[in-house]
Amino acid sequence: MEGKFIIIIAVALFFIALVQLMKIYDLAAKVRGAKSQEKMTRGENMLMANLMLVFMVVFFGFIIWLIAKYGANAGLYKAASEHGQELDDLLMINWYIILPVFFITNSLLFIFSWKYYHREERKALYYPHNNKLELIWTVLPAIALAIIIVFGIRTWNGIMYNKEEGQVIEVYAYQFGWLVRYAGADNELGEANYKLVSSTNPLGVITDQSIQDTYNEIDTKVSGIDSELKENRNSNGDLLMPKSKADKKLDELERLKRRKYRIEAAIDKREANKTAYASSDDDIVVQELHLVKGQPYTFIFRSKDVIHCPWLPHFRAQINSVPGMETSFKLTPTITTEEMRNMPEVQEHYKNINEIHNERKRRIGEEEEKVLFDYVLLCNKICGAGHSNMQIKVVVETQEEFENWIENNGDKKRLTFSGQEVNWSETKEQASL
Amino acid sequence: MAHDHHHHKESFITKYIFSQDHKMIGKQYLLTAIFMGAIGITLSALFRMKLGWPDTQFSILESILGSDAAPDGMLDSNWYLGLVTLHGTIMVFFVLTGGLSGTFSNLLIPLQVGARDMASGLLNMIAYWLFFISSVLMAASLFIETGPAMAGWTVYPPLSVLEEFQPGSGLGMTLWLLSMTVFIASSLLGGINYIVTILNLRTKGMSMTRLPLTIWAFFITAILGVLSFPVLLSAAVLLLMDRGFGTSFYMSDIVTSSGALDATGGSPILYEHLFWFLGHPEVYIILLPALGMTSEIISTCSRKPIFGYRAMIGSMLAIGFLSFIVWGHHMFLTGMNPFLGGVFTFTTLLIAIPSAVKAFNYITTIWKGNVMLTPAMLFCIGSVSTFISGGVTGIILADSALDISQHDTYFVVGHFHIVMGMTAILGMFAGIYHWFPKMYGKSMNKRMGMVHFWITIVTGYGVFLPMHFLGEGGLPRRYYENTNFPMFDHFLDLNIMISIFATIGVLAQVIFFFNFFYSIFRGPKASLNPWNANTLEWTTPIEHVHGNWIGEIPTVHRWPYDYSKPGKEQDFVPQTVPLDDNEEEH
Ligand code: HEM
Ligand SMILES: [Cu+2]
Ligand SMILES: [Cu+2]
Repeated sequence: MEGKFIIIIAVALFFIALVQLMKIYDLAAKVRGAKSQEKMTRGENMLMANLMLVFMVVFFGFIIWLIAKYGANAGLYKAASEHGQELDDLLMINWYIILPVFFITNSLLFIFSWKYYHREERKALYYPHNNKLELIWTVLPAIALAIIIVFGIRTWNGIMYNKEEGQVIEVYAYQFGWLVRYAGADNELGEANYKLVSSTNPLGVITDQSIQDTYNEIDTKVSGIDSELKENRNSNGDLLMPKSKADKKLDELERLKRRKYRIEAAIDKREANKTAYASSDDDIVVQELHLVKGQPYTFIFRSKDVIHCPWLPHFRAQINSVPGMETSFKLTPTITTEEMRNMPEVQEHYKNINEIHNERKRRIGEEEEKVLFDYVLLCNKICGAGHSNMQIKVVVETQEEFENWIENNGDKKRLTFSGQEVNWSETKEQASL
Repeated sequence: MAHDHHHHKESFITKYIFSQDHKMIGKQYLLTAIFMGAIGITLSALFRMKLGWPDTQFSILESILGSDAAPDGMLDSNWYLGLVTLHGTIMVFFVLTGGLSGTFSNLLIPLQVGARDMASGLLNMIAYWLFFISSVLMAASLFIETGPAMAGWTVYPPLSVLEEFQPGSGLGMTLWLLSMTVFIASSLLGGINYIVTILNLRTKGMSMTRLPLTIWAFFITAILGVLSFPVLLSAAVLLLMDRGFGTSFYMSDIVTSSGALDATGGSPILYEHLFWFLGHPEVYIILLPALGMTSEIISTCSRKPIFGYRAMIGSMLAIGFLSFIVWGHHMFLTGMNPFLGGVFTFTTLLIAIPSAVKAFNYITTIWKGNVMLTPAMLFCIGSVSTFISGGVTGIILADSALDISQHDTYFVVGHFHIVMGMTAILGMFAGIYHWFPKMYGKSMNKRMGMVHFWITIVTGYGVFLPMHFLGEGGLPRRYYENTNFPMFDHFLDLNIMISIFATIGVLAQVIFFFNFFYSIFRGPKASLNPWNANTLEWTTPIEHVHGNWIGEIPTVHRWPYDYSKPGKEQDFVPQTVPLDDNEEEH
């Protein structure tokens, strides 16, 4: 409240100051004698013209400085996936076409504005059109764009129509984190349905057990509401709670019953459940994404609540994950985390990052730490308060390292969901119920 | 048509408030836009503080925004998104659509085509007041406890549907939708009026190919708006129903903390299609008026005909048409059929051709001109420069393959601020400096205008060029802080630099506000035709009269770009001057 008051006063003061300033300015103008504000003097025109040149130099210098400092991939280095390399090459082709156009047209603009500034004795050239010229600068961009379009669509089709399946991995997005599900030995993900999502079954994987669990959960809630309503009735059967509250309860009751009915009708296959949903038996849910170098992967993305966008900057890969729909992309990692850490430019860069990072840590009184290069999967679609910290670590390693990790990291890796912590071994069990 | 309007006395209310005079309405739009613009850029300066100095407590934030939004001077992450959302919404819709088109279409259409007023003064007045109401609603949403809409200016569902997903999706989002509904009604009424006026009320001799390029630009803009805003309206109505009436147009398979929702069968992607069917043309609704005004001003100030008048019209028509078949480039990564991705890449890159033609035509107009570097002209040169600089990076984003690694990063933020934000804002400033004498009968101070220009262009590029590099480094947009990832730590100093430029840039606008308001009251009296221009508006009296011309409306005999025509004594020949015997028109 005080704050708002101070603001109001500040705004008022600002306007008073503005009016005072106007008055002073007014007096000064009177003393100087009114000058025309319409005609530009020769000196002014010349000054502005020269500033055009100065600006051009500074402007180009700034860009060149930025390019020199950050390069094309400002700290992302070499792409770490097969298609990523193609994308980077395509990007470079584009830059080689675009940058000259950018520099040439901008310099023509500024140089002409400088060279042809107004002088009384000059007269402009009456030059309303020239069809040949106009044709040239319709056709030239068209040719350049044709090149860009052809290269672009070819690369796009190559990436999107890739038929190779490889290993299947599901990445499940929720506010604000990710879960990863490996398909296991059969390389087939068990079916999932959002109606079965619960704290013990975060992905809604369909199993006989998870169906029964959901029924139990619904039944418990239903009887809870039933008994609450019963307690709140008098002997005539009238409800004692406010109507709006009662309506809410009744609505909730309906909703739960509907949900159960839908599961019974569409998901539950009774005795056949065990065989129908068997492919989830060997699925494993984890919270870190480990990939094997050289292994092709097909990623399947789902979302629990809002649109998210898994973004793997080092692999040049991203696609939205949308509730109600599955999206996917394919990727083959080509550089292990270890190899990346050992690259000279990465080491150089991380020396710098460590300095900056720990200088900040010192400044805000947090403990210093050594940061190493790591791949990361982060969220690139606005999804709420935690958007800017929705990440998981990605590790690329050899086949043995991967197998070792998935077998033995038992007690270290934990799955947290809805605040509940589940032990890795339990998770594994639960995911293969 | 009755010319005796100006004879009867008007009350203060009918003259300044519920005016049906297009000139007054134009000025009302301008003032509202300046007010909204001040809010919009202030918001950007505030949230840039968090990005530049992520660990610093700014007590000023707490005192401006309140302790919900910035407890202990640290901006709250929900509120950060709220400020970004309102900044984007205000800049795009209220300043550069309502404000830009509203001001200059209203001021210039009747004056430049030679009409007494808009086709319907009443509709015009209603359009303004709807715009005003929607502005108030939008600004008011900043004052509610749970904050304004926070789902980004695109307000994608399901994020924008349930308060559980973010607090701004409650009352804030309701206000956003109400405000936008009113806004759309306003812009449809305005647009229809502009189209009808241009088609039907041109003065004698003013054929379509003698129209100034400003009018062509306003004309195409209005058509784009009338065709695309209704689609946004339906998107908004469906969203309202999903929020309030339990429908599921955009919702399916969603789990909240209270379990699975009933909604099935809808798709958020449907919303994206509807939104971007407006959203992309919207970019040109913003740009074309600015490009039209810069064409006019560059020609006048270079004392040289605009080069390729017909090509300029043709390219605006082509841009207008193409803008309706490119919306998918915002959705390459939604999982849509890859074939569509290729199609949208193709159509999008086609737009670069007419855009390139326009850029080259501007440059050729200046070539061998006799260029008056007035503040308006300076802003035009800046605008052409940003149009080029932002246009070339668009070529990268248009490419579906490259979008895989650029989508929604800061590269996009840098790109659209330069090509759309700066080009249009600089164009709008150019328009204000150029037509201020026509609006207020006074001149603005030219020295302050020059200083304003140089600071604005330098800080503008200083803010938005480095953002491209943040994006190349993989930094996502709409991030409340970049400190959760060591890999972005090397951008700490770049972010500080951007924030410093942004603060200076925002403060520099005070020079403009001062100049503007000072000149309204104390500026020197303007002359009738201060820039020696050819168009009709400069034949109307300096003191505004109802009906614009005191006597007959002048007849038009030539196109508006006869500057420095050989064989003429003066370096300009107004449109009202008849052709000499065997003089070629152009
Ligand atoms: C002082 C000048 C400005 C500064 C410093 C500024 C800065 C920013 C920043 C930092 C963002 C957040 C980017 C993100 O996280 O996605 C943003 C968003 C945006 N700005 Fe600006 N901006 C300025 C002027 C403008 C102008 C003139 C426009 C007009 C088109 C504009 C339109 C937008 C839009 C549409 C968004 C996206 C909002 C969203 O993500 O929902 N801005 N601006
Ligand atoms: Cu997110
Ligand atoms: Cu677009």
